[in-house]
Amino acid sequence: MAKLTLGRLLAIALRVGNMTFGGGDPTMAAFHRELVVRRGWLDPDQYTLAFALARVTPGTNLLAFCAGVGWQLLGWRGALAMVLAPTVPSAVLAVLLTHTAAAWGNKGVISGVFGSLAAAAVGMTAAAAWLLLKPHLKGPNAVRPLALAGGAIALSLGAWLSPVQVLGLAAVAGILWRRQEAE
Amino acid sequence: MNLVLLYLLLLKAVATSFSGLASLPVLRADLVEHHRVLTDAQLSMAVAIGRAGPGPIGLYVVSVGYFAGGLPGAAAGLLALVTPAFLIIPALLCLRRAGSRPELRGAIQGVMFAAAGLLLSTTLPLARHAVTGRLSAALAAASFAALAFTRVDAAWVILGAAAVGLVAGLAG
Repeated sequence: MAKLTLGRLLAIALRVGNMTFGGGDPTMAAFHRELVVRRGWLDPDQYTLAFALARVTPGTNLLAFCAGVGWQLLGWRGALAMVLAPTVPSAVLAVLLTHTAAAWGNKGVISGVFGSLAAAAVGMTAAAAWLLLKPHLKGPNAVRPLALAGGAIALSLGAWLSPVQVLGLAAVAGILWRRQEAE
Repeated sequence: MNLVLLYLLLLKAVATSFSGLASLPVLRADLVEHHRVLTDAQLSMAVAIGRAGPGPIGLYVVSVGYFAGGLPGAAAGLLALVTPAFLIIPALLCLRRAGSRPELRGAIQGVMFAAAGLLLSTTLPLARHAVTGRLSAALAAASFAALAFTRVDAAWVILGAAAVGLVAGLAG
């Protein structure tokens, strides 16, 4: 088994983080395979702790997971390496694509391509909302996610509250509703 | 737009969400509606670009930063994207059991459900600019169905939409 070094960790983070499509869950699964199963650098409890805490850390779950794993392995150096390796190369690609869109997005055939991508983005955004709710829509507790999501839609479309205010209100509602269920 | 302000607005959007695109409503409210440094068309494009490549879904924030402030804006977007991730370290040190506390879980679930509602309401202004005919409506519906009901990778959805747009552009 190869010894854990910053260079080796960085190489794995670069490969897994920039060659795994599909967002957070497939990437975290690939890190499990590389760091827990294949190399044994991280024990299953450490992986689970980072996985669970990443879910409750604000921002992008995958990056919080990477920071947590890197910090447990090599301290701050590991956290920085694990966060920057999956983001910097992908960000450079995103900038190149955005520059192309800004420069060529209104011209001829390219305009049609970017118009189609924008339409697809609408469907993808709606799908992201559905996928957030879907796992919680089973059984008698389905009314809670539907009520909170519906309330957020109403408050947002009615322009009564800003999104941050809606989210704050939802956090309080989530605590109170859960307490009522427990009682 | 001032770069520090752009960073803070992007950070606010990222840090008030718990998953990739959930930052979209806050970001749209600040940059499209309030400061007007971004259009809905650019926001739709940024979402598509963020899903087109590898890396985290939240990467669309880098594209938003580029639209709003060029290369320095993209750097501000990248910084805003990664900054909240390091909050997990004090959490690892101090709150090892926090994830199992019912109050915290309840609050996070409440935020997540509201974020889903806000995302749905954000699709309406995006659709007004991006869905302009039968073809774009069909593409939006097909993209929703592919990602909501199948396990197909988002990259294939993006490639398929680009191919349809290319063919339609060449044919028309």
